[in-house]
Amino acid sequence: MVLFALLRILPGDPANALLGVGADADQIAAARQQVGSDLPLWQQFVGFFTSLARFDLGTSFVSQAPVSEEILARLSVTVPLTLLAFALAIIVAVPLGIIAAVKSHKWYGGLISVFSQLGIAIPVFWVGILLVTAFAINLRLFPSGGFPRQGWGNPADALRDLTLPVLTVAIVMASSLVRYVRSATQDVLGSDYLRTARALGSSFIEALLRHGVRNGSVPIISILGIELASTFLGAVVVERVFTLPGLGSMLLLGISQRDYPNVQGVLFVSTLLVLFIGFFADLAQRLIDPRLRDRSRGAAS
Amino acid sequence: MQLFARSNRRQFGATAIAASIAALGMMSVSPAVLAAADTSAVIEIGSLYEPQNLDNTAGAGQGINEAFNGNVYEALFALTDGGDVSDALAKDYSVSDDGLTYTITLQDGVTFHSGDPLTAADVKASIERVTAESSKSSRKNNLATITNIETPDDSTVVITLSERSISLPYNLSYVWIVNDAATSITDSEDGTGPYKLDQWRRGSSLSLTLADNYWGEAPTNAGVVFNYFTDATALNNALLTNAVDIITSVQSPDALAQFTDNPDFTVTNGQSTTKELMAFNDRVAPFDKVEVRKAVARAIDDKKLLESIWGDYGTLIGSFVPPTDPWYVDLTAVDAYDPDSAKAMLAEAGYPDGFTFSLDTPDYDPHPIVAEFIKSELAKVGVTVNINIITANEWYTKIYQAHDFDATLQEHVNHRDIVFYGNPDFYWGYNNPKVVELIKQSESSATIDEQNQKLTEANKLIAEDAASDWLYLYPQIVVSASNVSGYPVNGLNSQFYAYDIEKSAE
Amino acid sequence: MTTIELDRPARRSAASLTFIVGLILVGLHVAIALLTLVWTPYDPSSTAGGRLEAPSLLHWAGTDRLGRDLFTQIMIGSRIALQVGIGAVGIGAAIGVTIGVLAAFATRLLDDALAAAFDILIAFPTLLLAMLVVAASDTASLWSAILALGIALSAIVGRLTRILAKRVLQMDFITAARTSGTSWPRIVVIHILPNIWPTLMVNFALQFGLAAIAEASLSYLGLGAPPPNASWGRLLQEAQGTVYTAPFGAIAPGLALLVLVIGINLFADGLRDVGDPTRRRSR
Repeated sequence: MVLFALLRILPGDPANALLGVGADADQIAAARQQVGSDLPLWQQFVGFFTSLARFDLGTSFVSQAPVSEEILARLSVTVPLTLLAFALAIIVAVPLGIIAAVKSHKWYGGLISVFSQLGIAIPVFWVGILLVTAFAINLRLFPSGGFPRQGWGNPADALRDLTLPVLTVAIVMASSLVRYVRSATQDVLGSDYLRTARALGSSFIEALLRHGVRNGSVPIISILGIELASTFLGAVVVERVFTLPGLGSMLLLGISQRDYPNVQGVLFVSTLLVLFIGFFADLAQRLIDPRLRDRSRGAAS
Repeated sequence: MQLFARSNRRQFGATAIAASIAALGMMSVSPAVLAAADTSAVIEIGSLYEPQNLDNTAGAGQGINEAFNGNVYEALFALTDGGDVSDALAKDYSVSDDGLTYTITLQDGVTFHSGDPLTAADVKASIERVTAESSKSSRKNNLATITNIETPDDSTVVITLSERSISLPYNLSYVWIVNDAATSITDSEDGTGPYKLDQWRRGSSLSLTLADNYWGEAPTNAGVVFNYFTDATALNNALLTNAVDIITSVQSPDALAQFTDNPDFTVTNGQSTTKELMAFNDRVAPFDKVEVRKAVARAIDDKKLLESIWGDYGTLIGSFVPPTDPWYVDLTAVDAYDPDSAKAMLAEAGYPDGFTFSLDTPDYDPHPIVAEFIKSELAKVGVTVNINIITANEWYTKIYQAHDFDATLQEHVNHRDIVFYGNPDFYWGYNNPKVVELIKQSESSATIDEQNQKLTEANKLIAEDAASDWLYLYPQIVVSASNVSGYPVNGLNSQFYAYDIEKSAE
Repeated sequence: MTTIELDRPARRSAASLTFIVGLILVGLHVAIALLTLVWTPYDPSSTAGGRLEAPSLLHWAGTDRLGRDLFTQIMIGSRIALQVGIGAVGIGAAIGVTIGVLAAFATRLLDDALAAAFDILIAFPTLLLAMLVVAASDTASLWSAILALGIALSAIVGRLTRILAKRVLQMDFITAARTSGTSWPRIVVIHILPNIWPTLMVNFALQFGLAAIAEASLSYLGLGAPPPNASWGRLLQEAQGTVYTAPFGAIAPGLALLVLVIGINLFADGLRDVGDPTRRRSR
């Protein structure tokens, strides 16, 4: 409902996107009728909800194509981009974060902390532009943007095109994850169970791996859920930098063309996905930490 | 998103354009191609103009003309890259002495991609698609003089007009001939061209493969793919990394250096008809005063602006007419850069202390930076500009429809669009009865010379009136890999004939 | 006034160092922003320079396509970034604190509804919310960008305020105040706000950095302050278009933004360690 209200107060008429210079009054009226922007507001509103209830996202005002199809096609860019970046960020951030906590007195521990400070202060698009300048323009190793027309028909090309975008997102994501991993590790290091485990004869590394990872990962997972969701939604900027045909660029285009069905569709699907991610993060936390399971059971009874 | 002003630019005078292009120092398209052309090659074309849908009467934007005109759909007549109008699906035609009846004979043995043969009924239906009430074709009005279409037999079409229309063949060159059995062509096609639609991946590409049983000469390649980009930088990089073979129009000079110095690429500087202009709302004060408009035109250094945006490329113009139009005359001396006289004229017009106006600026390049330049230039003569950034969509509602503006920036790509100055209801509201009359008469001229002479006179009048401030003419730059040749080089309209493109084996 | 000690003692020496470095970096930007009000190296709209000149003694950061001095533009960018940061955080704080406190006092049903609303809004990145608000406003201006970011930030502030206020509400002295008949607006003013204020301040500082980045992103996407406002995001967008011939344009505005946000983050870290002992609880 909020979506609907917000979108209808946008100035401009979606019918305009269909017209060119030279259109006369009749053509304008015809276009308005076609996209339904001549109907009273409440009629548009009822129509919007009845179709949403059937999971029918409608057809684009501009391209006349079913919104759901287009969203699916664009998800095939945005989802791999997000997941690959996410995986890469975890692979990089977890060891770095642990090292930064364990070896905080060493120079490289400090360096990692500085990196994590830099990372959260850098806007993601600037990282993108810098990577493009270095790797696409000077070294010409990777393309600076675009996505193969066959999509994943040719996986090697698709991956090559996604390399820089994934790297961009991963750098920013990793640097903020490092902070969380580091502080979680610090908590674990200061904890009683770790001391107990060591006293019982485990080596430091063993103790950290056996007990620390399990305990430390609980808060991290909820952060990961939030990070994944916001990266997914924040793909708008990265897709703009690298001109990827993903969900974000569909949203931007939809806004500028006043193509309400497209904008609504994108927001609806991304909200659903974000809720799913939150749900799975919750689930994962409970699987790892039995205490949370008990607590929720207790709350339910 | 240039689809508004850029859509459906068609129409052109049959003149010696080819000669004028040569005289203007066009670069040759391709050096001698040593290696043999590879007819099995698929040509990858990079473009910024993805169509909105696949129907040119349903507001598809200029991209559909680029991809489909002459490639997938053919018309009765075709506008060549040189600017001539040649016969296409019309084998022959004759005009009655009063100029009101056109009898057109169709080519033999033409079939649609669906297999149906081309008949006169298809032609009639196709013309009516464009003139229909629901049609969003911007050139619909140009066909308004058609009163009747008859089909005496399957290969003859007789068109009757209410008054003379010397541009009818040109106007018909943008009417796609579509199989009348096809119901909707917004996401499929049924044309007669050398290519048929293979696949359209929205937001990404549109691929064409060879049509079966094409009636004419077969293309010199095995198909083309239009790859769409929303960003000029990414487009240029696609060419650098061999992801595409050719770019239909380069939008910034900064990217060109990497191609001009590189033997792997061919840069072609052709002729464009795209004009950057500041359109005044000639209905409202202070721009209802000719002196004010002239003063503003004189206060802006167009040469410095063109250099800022385009470096060494592009052309200065003194009116709305580019050098490739037959009614072009050099009017750059009219209201040339002269800030002192601008100040004097403002004082004369009753604005000795200048005035303030709001400049509605579309949000895409180059308009915002042009607006900033104008703001700083006009500040020097005491005029304050408030830049108001709007989307292309808002531009359409606020300016094109509601005429609610002081002045605006826009690029106009259409051919022969000086006719817009003959329409007092057009968004800029220029109304000079003499110009209106001249433009009206020119269409009912009996000869091309008469038409040229009338429009030349109208051209001079709008320049003298400073109906708008015409800032510069865009260049038309095509860049290709050096093993690719045979492509159209001029931006005379948005079409991009692909059938002669050759790619030699490397 | 009663202050609650919730957490372990801070490491004061390191904290004061980050605090000072942060203060210097932010102070630098504030000084530059104030300076632009009275003086810039060049008239910002002067197009006297050449097209895309590389950095030199005359033009420290080079020139743009129109020949304007980029260093001047970047200096003005400082002012815009600070304006947006202060404005957005101010609006976000006003809305967020009000709703957050209301939620803490509200009936169970309303509180749950507000809490759920905060959670949903927070799931959306600030930037995305701001984009929608900007798109919905009639004409793009610096103020619409500030307002959009402020609204987007208010959810974060609201959620934090609600949690903090609830925690305070469970304290014994509140119960005491309630039983003694103190009206709830009075409880808010004398007991709750002073107690949650230090944590909120740290959060505001962090959000200031968020707002600065989000504003740059909005401008980069063409949804921020319109020209001739020289927002860093717009300068970067402009520079991306000419990155072949003038790669220098893409460096300086980004660095300026980086320095500001790092400064603010260090400042916030320092503030947290010095003034507010609830380390690592608020994020």
